[in-house]
Amino acid sequence: MGAGRQTRVIRTDYLARVEGEGAMYVRLDGREVAEVKLRIYEPPRFFEALLRGRAFTEAPDITARICGICPVAYQMSAVRAMEDACGVRIDDGPIRDLRRLIYCGEWIESHSLHVYMLHAPDFLGYPGAVEMAREHREIVEQGLQMKKAGNAVMALVGGREVHPINVRVGGFYRAPTKTQLRTLQDPLERARETALATVRWATELPFPEVEREVELLALADPDPDAYPIDRGRIVSDGGIDIAPAEFDEHVVEEHVEHSNALHARIRERDVYLTGPLARYALSSQALRPLAGEAAREAGLGGVCRNPFRSILVRAVELVQACDEALALIESYEPPVAPAVEVTPRRAVGHGATEAPRGLLYHRYEIDEDGTILDARIVPPTSQNQLAIEQDLRAVLEANLDLPDDRLALRCEQTIRNHDPCISCATHFLQLTIDRG
Amino acid sequence: MVVIGVGNALRHDDAAGLEVTCRLRARLHAGENAVRTEFAVREHEGEPLALIDLWEGAGAVVLVDAIRSGAAPGTIHRVEASHEPIPARLRGSSSTHAVGVGEAIELARALGRLPARVVVYGVEGLYFDAGSGLSEEVQGAIDSLTDAVLGEACSLASC
Repeated sequence: MGAGRQTRVIRTDYLARVEGEGAMYVRLDGREVAEVKLRIYEPPRFFEALLRGRAFTEAPDITARICGICPVAYQMSAVRAMEDACGVRIDDGPIRDLRRLIYCGEWIESHSLHVYMLHAPDFLGYPGAVEMAREHREIVEQGLQMKKAGNAVMALVGGREVHPINVRVGGFYRAPTKTQLRTLQDPLERARETALATVRWATELPFPEVEREVELLALADPDPDAYPIDRGRIVSDGGIDIAPAEFDEHVVEEHVEHSNALHARIRERDVYLTGPLARYALSSQALRPLAGEAAREAGLGGVCRNPFRSILVRAVELVQACDEALALIESYEPPVAPAVEVTPRRAVGHGATEAPRGLLYHRYEIDEDGTILDARIVPPTSQNQLAIEQDLRAVLEANLDLPDDRLALRCEQTIRNHDPCISCATHFLQLTIDRG
Repeated sequence: MVVIGVGNALRHDDAAGLEVTCRLRARLHAGENAVRTEFAVREHEGEPLALIDLWEGAGAVVLVDAIRSGAAPGTIHRVEASHEPIPARLRGSSSTHAVGVGEAIELARALGRLPARVVVYGVEGLYFDAGSGLSEEVQGAIDSLTDAVLGEACSLASC
């Protein structure tokens, strides 16, 4: 070798198999990881701007279009925030049950998509789901079938498969009958069986032994037997235990030059991670027995700190969501009215729910007639950016001797572990890729 | 036979596919096509893998979507994907998803779940940021695009 340090630059300008568009830039200086940037092309806050001046009742319809894979999450955080502003709480009863049900549908849809189509190819050595489908048709078919069950729940409760139009501030425009919900039982029972098989299958996947220490943050449901999805306080394993209204006091967002998303840090400390690993670590004891048992059989302890094994945690959450959906359908009695009255007033409201990818926080300021004066939306992927960059740094440091193409692949897999939804993180897609 | 408009109503030109199917439906409803009952018109916003369920059982499908390929905004592209994948240069759809329309087609093909005839109409978009309303260029192309889709659908439906 000659004198001087060798600089390697690894760039992937278009990340395959993540939602939205993104880029990764890494600069290695000899054996030092000099620079790691998860680069997002989309400017922030366009949807927040779009919301200003609109009626508070429009928030669910507008925010639902931020993300095609998790429209329900946006709607749920939006309606909870608006209801919070107007002094309304829907914490139990059939309307809450329907919300939890449609949210389970979305978890099923989103998690099955990620587990089978986006993540599995990494473990089985395929560039993508299409290539994997040619040799593992049954795996892909299983994933699609589960996804279809999730979509069916969303369609029935939401009125349409994507951008559920039935969701409104205060509840729904119409509530399904028990008979209608029972049509979901068969597909959900099959999906539950598939989910259990998915956990068993995922247990055998080749996982690199990686342990990442990072503060984990998620909702915690006040009911100790309820896995968090639609309500609760925001907690972390670093000591955070706050109401959604206190989110701003404890989480700081800063605009970072290389990324158009905002980076979130815990004010008192630093980087944190939200999503399935955080939910599992903080609330695994609240999993329904079937899901808890599946987790134990899979060898997942009380907390999983290996981001590669997130596929296993998502599979457990698939069991949870299917099982919970079936229980909700079983116990459902239609509400007297599909929605409660929500009268606007000049106020600020906060809503935090667990999207498939993690905590999704909304804050709205509304006028006395319900006009939205200000909107703030903090998506899970935006919160996870720093944690993902740290993961990248660790993977690089451990794999410097790999040739560039294999190292790049390892880095991409590291990003995919977190199921990032880059389009959600910055609300806008710009597909002009500069290959320099 | 099914025509599916794909897009996002709140990302400007990304609504083009939805606008076309909306117009198509209006024209059919006004009695414009004698064989109107022979094909369905649907919209789909969001994650494209769900298209595989939407076109299930159909012998033919026409997809309408906004596209970004570097062509002049308003340019209409027609691609037959029955036997060949959509060319890479046209796969830059507005989809923000890991599995875009092109990939959904290939996945369906690999699983034997693709209709025998697949035609994709794309209109080159200009603005895809959050907001409603088509750009002038795309707005100007909607009528001829709707004509083209209607003609294609009629011809496929009568096969």
